[in-house]
Amino acid sequence: MTVLAPPAPTLLEDLRRRYFATPLQAAVSLFSLAVIVFLAWKILNWALLSAVFTADGGPEACHAAAGACWSVIAARWRIILFGLYPFEEQWRSALACVAVVAMTVLSCIPACWTGRRIAAIWVAGTALFYILMKGGIFGLAYIGEEQWGGLALTLFIFVTTCLIGFPLSIGLALMRRSQLPWISRTTGIIIDGVRSLPLISILFTFAIVLPFALPQWLQGDKLYRVILGSALFFSAYQAEIVRGGMQGVPKGQEEASMALGLSYWQSISRILLPQAMRNALPATINQFVISFKETSLVVIIGFFEILASGNAAYGTGEWRFAYVEVYVFIALIYFVFVFSLSRYGAFLERRMAVGER
Amino acid sequence: MNGPDPSQAETAAIHIAGLNKHYGAFHALRDIDLTVRRGEKIVVCGPSGSGKSTLIRCINRLEEHSAGRIVVLGTELNDDVGNIEGIRREVGMVFQHFNLFPHMTVLENCVLAPMLVRKVPRSEAEALARKYLEKVRIPEQADKYPAQLSGGQQQRVAIARALCMTPQIMLFDEPTSALDPEMIAEVLDVMATLASEGMTMVCVTHEMGFARRAADRVIFMDKGEIVEQAPPERFFTTAQNERTRQFLSQILNH
Repeated sequence: MTVLAPPAPTLLEDLRRRYFATPLQAAVSLFSLAVIVFLAWKILNWALLSAVFTADGGPEACHAAAGACWSVIAARWRIILFGLYPFEEQWRSALACVAVVAMTVLSCIPACWTGRRIAAIWVAGTALFYILMKGGIFGLAYIGEEQWGGLALTLFIFVTTCLIGFPLSIGLALMRRSQLPWISRTTGIIIDGVRSLPLISILFTFAIVLPFALPQWLQGDKLYRVILGSALFFSAYQAEIVRGGMQGVPKGQEEASMALGLSYWQSISRILLPQAMRNALPATINQFVISFKETSLVVIIGFFEILASGNAAYGTGEWRFAYVEVYVFIALIYFVFVFSLSRYGAFLERRMAVGER
Repeated sequence: MNGPDPSQAETAAIHIAGLNKHYGAFHALRDIDLTVRRGEKIVVCGPSGSGKSTLIRCINRLEEHSAGRIVVLGTELNDDVGNIEGIRREVGMVFQHFNLFPHMTVLENCVLAPMLVRKVPRSEAEALARKYLEKVRIPEQADKYPAQLSGGQQQRVAIARALCMTPQIMLFDEPTSALDPEMIAEVLDVMATLASEGMTMVCVTHEMGFARRAADRVIFMDKGEIVEQAPPERFFTTAQNERTRQFLSQILNH
């Protein structure tokens, strides 16, 4: 005798069962639906139907309209994206953004994960960014770091923070599990110390206080000190995430690799870290996302990253009323980057799940 | 007699003299003397906590010994990392819980150490791996991941992985204890084949059938000491020590 599966419910039946089973449920469903439709209409009306899109009419056209004033973006997008970067040279900043994004995307592709390729991509990417932004050679006009700003600065701070902070975090995690107590304890104190401080105070220390302590030739530009501080902060948190991932790898894995004659570094790089990073992946993506958004804190040191540039874009008199539109625009930019990062994390998780039952 | 004899240190596969091991206040191994000739097969048995696993884990320095002397294939085990890595290259080990690398396929598990440690080219390492997978009778699983295999298959892969380093000595640390009963035979068969081909083997196991079939000598340990050692036929029939007889009656009569 064959047992037939019950017939799949039709869409209508399914809806009735899920949302209209009892009179109370029906009432709640209808009310919620009304709220959703109302909000959706309001947002649609504000954002698109009644909105002003061109800057031709100036702020006055916006005052007349009931909807969003996207004119401020049309009029001020260059300040938002490029900050204080000189107007005629802003194509360089745009290209530099492309270089950083291309470098990030390339290093996310599994085919590029060999030591030589990753190194080539990173060196080429950062060099390209630096030359484009700073100039002073190849006929490009010199533009100092204090004039960098907007999206390019945000991306640069984020990517360099990760490039420096990530290897540092692995180093710290390995040192923290060292069998030599003076190494593991010292590392533990460093990690806990950095984690006990607010990021703002670390940035402030690196930007303002460090120059008093360091000789002139070691100081570098304020920007690079800020990046170092931010990388240190990132690595303290990430080190604990990596260590957690390492604790999830059974002891037998290392014993097996040692018994096969692998050296310490072979065992770490081929056996321990791949498995530890797989365990640590969700928390790692989390940390990257947080760090991306924390780049906005560099404004206290006087850098006009994208959020601060946005403030400047509407803060000059005539567009003062259109701050919501500016923030929505910036939020969208953040969203594009962070959401891509999350989706990439999900892809990695699927890819790394091979071999798990 | 296999007592400590300095002249054997150079020629024996494994020469252990006056070995002691402490974990804090716990005395895990007491004055162990043991010499294993080349080609000899030793089965080590004893109750849980008797130090038998600790003993064979000292042989490839997964555990550091506190006192005494261990010479493996003429090389003394000391703090010299070169010595340790040299010995590990020549001594294969099979663990109770297989310890296959879960993020690599069976084939990658097998070629990893030959390529990294012995610098064998990939094509050659793969040929070697397929040969040993054939030997443990699972060549068709080469491209699967460990989690896709049964326990018995995983343990056979672990044996093949160790053999790919072409070791001169194989250590087995309770290789069948984590297996379902129906899979024990397939692993023991592979081990018996290996034994018949002249591999030097030290096996910690409670499989007394295997001991009868393959061992040259059975060692009984209790409380960190070697209590008794004898060829299997004598060990099972005329054990001298009361503790040995008690242990044998516990594992044989049930």
